[in-house]
Amino acid sequence: MKKTAKKLATLSSLLLVSAALAASPTDTLVIQSSSDVPTMDPGVTYDTASSALVDNMYETLITYDGASLTKLVPLLATKWTPSNGGKTYTFDLRKGVKFHSGATMTCADAEYSFERNLVTNSGASGNWFIAEALTGTQSNAADDKTVTWARIDKSVECNAAGQLVFTLPAVDPAFLAKLAYTGQAILEKAYSTKIGEWDGTEKTWKDWIGKDLTDSELSKKPNGTGPYKLVRADANNHLFQAFDGYWGKKPTIKNVIQQKVPELAARQQALLRGDADIIDGGGRSVDEAQVKGKPGVTWVDDLPNTTSTAIFMNEKIAGANNALLGSGKLDGKGIPSNFFSDVNVRRGFSYAFNYQGYIKDVQNTKGKQRTMLMPDIFPGYDPKVKTYTFDAAKATDYFKRAWGGQLWKNGFVLTANYRASAPASQTAMEILKKNIESINPKFRVNIQAKQWSEMLADSKKGQEAMILIGWAPDYADADNFMYTFYASDGYYSPRANWKDASVDKWLKQARSTINTAERNRLYSLVGNRAYEQAPYILVPAPVNYTFYSSRVSGAPLTKAGFNPMTSLYWKELSKK
Amino acid sequence: MLNFTIRRLLQIPLVMIALSIIVIGLTQLLTPEQRAAPYIRSEQQAARLEQIITERGLRDPFPIQYGRWFSNIVKGDLGYSKASNKDVLATIQERLPNTVELSLVTAIPILLLSIWLGTLSALHKDKLIDQILRVVVVFGYSLPTFVLGIVLLAVFYAYLGWLPGAGQLDILNQFAVGDLKRYTGMMTVDAALNGRWDIAWDALQHMILPAVTLLIVLSANLVKVMRNSMLEVLTSDYVRTARAKGLSSKVVNGKHARRNALLPIVTLGGFLVIGLLGGSVITETIFAYPGIGQWFVQAALQLDIAGVLGFTLLSALLVVVMSTVVDLLYGVLDPRVRFY
Repeated sequence: MKKTAKKLATLSSLLLVSAALAASPTDTLVIQSSSDVPTMDPGVTYDTASSALVDNMYETLITYDGASLTKLVPLLATKWTPSNGGKTYTFDLRKGVKFHSGATMTCADAEYSFERNLVTNSGASGNWFIAEALTGTQSNAADDKTVTWARIDKSVECNAAGQLVFTLPAVDPAFLAKLAYTGQAILEKAYSTKIGEWDGTEKTWKDWIGKDLTDSELSKKPNGTGPYKLVRADANNHLFQAFDGYWGKKPTIKNVIQQKVPELAARQQALLRGDADIIDGGGRSVDEAQVKGKPGVTWVDDLPNTTSTAIFMNEKIAGANNALLGSGKLDGKGIPSNFFSDVNVRRGFSYAFNYQGYIKDVQNTKGKQRTMLMPDIFPGYDPKVKTYTFDAAKATDYFKRAWGGQLWKNGFVLTANYRASAPASQTAMEILKKNIESINPKFRVNIQAKQWSEMLADSKKGQEAMILIGWAPDYADADNFMYTFYASDGYYSPRANWKDASVDKWLKQARSTINTAERNRLYSLVGNRAYEQAPYILVPAPVNYTFYSSRVSGAPLTKAGFNPMTSLYWKELSKK
Repeated sequence: MLNFTIRRLLQIPLVMIALSIIVIGLTQLLTPEQRAAPYIRSEQQAARLEQIITERGLRDPFPIQYGRWFSNIVKGDLGYSKASNKDVLATIQERLPNTVELSLVTAIPILLLSIWLGTLSALHKDKLIDQILRVVVVFGYSLPTFVLGIVLLAVFYAYLGWLPGAGQLDILNQFAVGDLKRYTGMMTVDAALNGRWDIAWDALQHMILPAVTLLIVLSANLVKVMRNSMLEVLTSDYVRTARAKGLSSKVVNGKHARRNALLPIVTLGGFLVIGLLGGSVITETIFAYPGIGQWFVQAALQLDIAGVLGFTLLSALLVVVMSTVVDLLYGVLDPRVRFY
């Protein structure tokens, strides 16, 4: 017994003393994230976790210049020339660029990459917006029969001089910004074909229409021109090494390891001990309490946020016997399906939301009330457009006018859904409920949690009465937000069913001109009209922040160099 | 006994088919929109929800969806797991050896410790050592695994710095492991076979905290059962007779009493092994240990139907096999047991 105890004690001591616990090496960047990496195929990359890796392995023709959202600079291209009134773009490609496979990039590779995106254009991908620019429709050939091989082939070609030529069916002022998107990265045609991807020919294109590339062979065996190449991936780790054949400036950090550590406490401890350099946080309140100000941690605050969130007030609630409508009448027991079609109702609701209270309680005072549903750092944002404030008296006034006074007299019961497990959404709805119900005891707002995908599907059918949804940018152009939210044929239109002929006209005009000043003027008009008509309650935008090990530095990690449209480029970092 | 074993093994495919029908059937209770959720990673993708549903055939009738799944199974294709971003089979091949390794490191100490402490507690009934052990058992039994895991991590990794944190290997070894020739998939074993004792040692150290967490939580119940079983046996007639015959306490307790008291431990031990091999889901998640338990958590959270099905089928296989082993062990420990 004594002998066993002695042996155990010796073994324990040995374990404790020899534990290899040195902080991460200086030539290795350690990133710990909470989520999976859904794909490493650029052709279907449409989420931040995937693009964080893809952006460091692959490159696009052009990219954003540092922190700028308006200035685009060459990357795999060296220059571009617009012609034909903005409907043709000719790109000169960089010479001597190598893929990780060792092959040299050619114009055929670039042509193949775009054609692959246009052919597949699956629902899970972000190719709808490049398809819209190049083929005139967001759909693939399965959903839109006007998309033919000839049309795809003609839209992007290599000329005799080895230049890449895009031919657009119509002017698209956002076209260049769209090219900077991760999904438009350049692939190697021969390599892709060899590992079993589409071979790039007319003969086989139909087999690849709408194909989801999430788990493609290319996703398993990526091959880009970027500064880092994938060395190995296992259950929890993705390991990268600086690519020796990279055409650009050699990265300072040789190795990058991206680990999945789902448990927040484990990630925090790793950062504080110096084993991890960059980690996923747990939200502002948690991170401020547990990480900010700790030794070895650099905290950068007041960074721009590029998401926009709104509470939708559906003017044409669909669905026979929709339970959300209650009695379906304005009799104090429900609402009619066109409840929100009265502008006085929408204004009443807009005045009933406590914007500053939301910023204080939900965003820890780090929030900003915007004038329009688009990022305030995007070109086209007009800070002069008026905003609603919480004003119970004004809300009362508008509610008294609504529905010829019947609303105030009879009251209503409205049922609104919010995204399950989304505390910020729930709180926003609770704030609205509390304020509305305090205005008139006959007013009742019931709120209930609903699974996200189901809520989005029902809202697309117009069956949700009032929901809270946001939008993150695909490219740095106002159109990506303004058309999405405000156009009567925009993405979010079925959720609000707001239609304004002037707004539709202005948005279409803004789409068809490359004159920036004119576009800005048109977007201001839309913003002002939207303020008057109040189709949405604009939820204040959070202020972004980041934190990381003080051993790491680099422009993208500073306030001056942070670009919300791009991933963190490891090549621009160094570590001590 | 042979017939019994063969009969039990033949049950496996039937159990699996039944289970797969139940699991896939249960998923049909979800709407196509809900089942499309794993493929949606951004609001933009949600805008194309209907296209995703069509591309995935999520509106197809149940027999077609099941038939599609079954025909793939016949071809050896268990489907693609969204949670692991790999084929289900490849995921199991990659992760199961890790879980087996952790189970091996954990199960034997749990069983030995439980038997020893349970016996000790019973032999010192109501004395100080028994009282202490009973308190410890209640503590271990009631302590949530995730709390214990995080506390151990905070103390031994973050505060004292004695043991490594989450993961399976230290950073530099993550890069070195690509050069290892893999024989068993178990990191310590493969590293040792490659002569990389540093990697083996590193992997072993990373298993200490998860193993201790499991040891504390899972031993508690076994200690309690062993104590009760031992107490029951110690008051039985044959033990009294053995004592009356003048046999020493060591022989009576060790040979006569403990052997019979072990029967319930065999049953529970069997389920302990099933549980460990099935993946100690919470422990693996806290310690970012790349076993099948961690995968299952992600698969369940992401409505990864192929992943959940793969895990369920694997668990079913383990249950049937381990139940058979437990039944056979019963026969070895208790000659009165007959196989029909």
